[in-house]
Amino acid sequence: MARIVGGIGCSHAPSIAHSYDRKLQKDPMWAPLYDGWEPAKEWLTRLKPDLMVVVYNDHMNRFFFDAYPSFALGAADRYPQADEGWGPRDFPDFPGHAAFSWHLAQSLVEDEFDPTICQEMSVDHGILSILPLLTDTHWPAPIVPIAANVIQHPIPTPRRFFRLGEAIRRAIESYPEDMRVLVVSTGGMSHQLHGPRFGFLNPDWDNEFMDRLEGDPISLTKLTHAQYMERGGAESVEIVMWLAMRSALGEKVRRVHRHYYAPMLTGYGLVAFEGA
Amino acid sequence: MGSTYRDEPIAGTTVFTGARSHQGYRINKLAMSLTDQAKRDAFRADERGYMAKFGLTEREMDLVARRDWTGLVDAGGSIYVLLKIAATVGQNLLQIGAQMRGETLDAFMAGRPGKQGTAVERKG
Repeated sequence: MARIVGGIGCSHAPSIAHSYDRKLQKDPMWAPLYDGWEPAKEWLTRLKPDLMVVVYNDHMNRFFFDAYPSFALGAADRYPQADEGWGPRDFPDFPGHAAFSWHLAQSLVEDEFDPTICQEMSVDHGILSILPLLTDTHWPAPIVPIAANVIQHPIPTPRRFFRLGEAIRRAIESYPEDMRVLVVSTGGMSHQLHGPRFGFLNPDWDNEFMDRLEGDPISLTKLTHAQYMERGGAESVEIVMWLAMRSALGEKVRRVHRHYYAPMLTGYGLVAFEGA
Repeated sequence: MGSTYRDEPIAGTTVFTGARSHQGYRINKLAMSLTDQAKRDAFRADERGYMAKFGLTEREMDLVARRDWTGLVDAGGSIYVLLKIAATVGQNLLQIGAQMRGETLDAFMAGRPGKQGTAVERKG
């Protein structure tokens, strides 16, 4: 039987990718982020997951508004990176696990989630900006990407993401092979990328969100998208994806690590949990 | 009211709704096409000719030609896709942001919230 051995929620951002590619790990602005995530990297190295289910969003790299799926599930043995406009980064493709993906598809549909199932799926900075900070191995385990629409409203409700995580857990626990699975959600935290409110940050809200995610995640399912956008900025609504990771871990969690740093345009947050 | 967004006004914010996605479809489709090096080269070689193939109106083409990011968002552009135009013409998100706030880049960089000390680092 497969089982969940841990969960990570973290921000994703092109800026993180740029800092990595420019080797700014020791730069005064970036060192707090890299140093701050190091304990999560050490934990992940010890944890040795066999598979990583990653809930993230595509930024119009694989998908466009001609047909934009609310949920899209990768079902491939290989996921190349998308060219986001700056050209490709120097990383190999991600390995996938098509057999697990099809099991997940079956289980999700029986659970009344009906994702678009993608046998070809390039992935973008929603996954690729953060994993190099969490592992020196490229890559330590196959990924199963689940892309969600958090860009073009109407977007799925916070409660829907919470239920998605519960469905992911049921799928993992019904997979017949022994497998240690990490569930990852990326996105957020506070930021706004347009308008007079460009550059908006709300560290107090970001930290309150991480508090509540750990101890009272149900309360976060009761907020509206408008409330998320007021508190964290319009583009920060993507933080609702973290609810999928949290609910997949079960009712109680043990926090392994937490870090927050907001030097620029986006609150960079990270939490790592194990089931309790 | 459900927990989806239904046009509640948020100060300083243009939420990317279905109506905006419909309005800005041509602009966003043009921008999306720039995820390919050959197309970026073609755009740079002849911006207007390239844009015409996507059916942009004269006014929309003018917005792109002026790098008027505020105008492009008002016209239904998604910032995530507009970034691909910016990448192609050598601008970045900070320059876009400064323009949207009506500031110079230097003024924005000097005053941005993360630099004013509101950023906090908190562990465990």
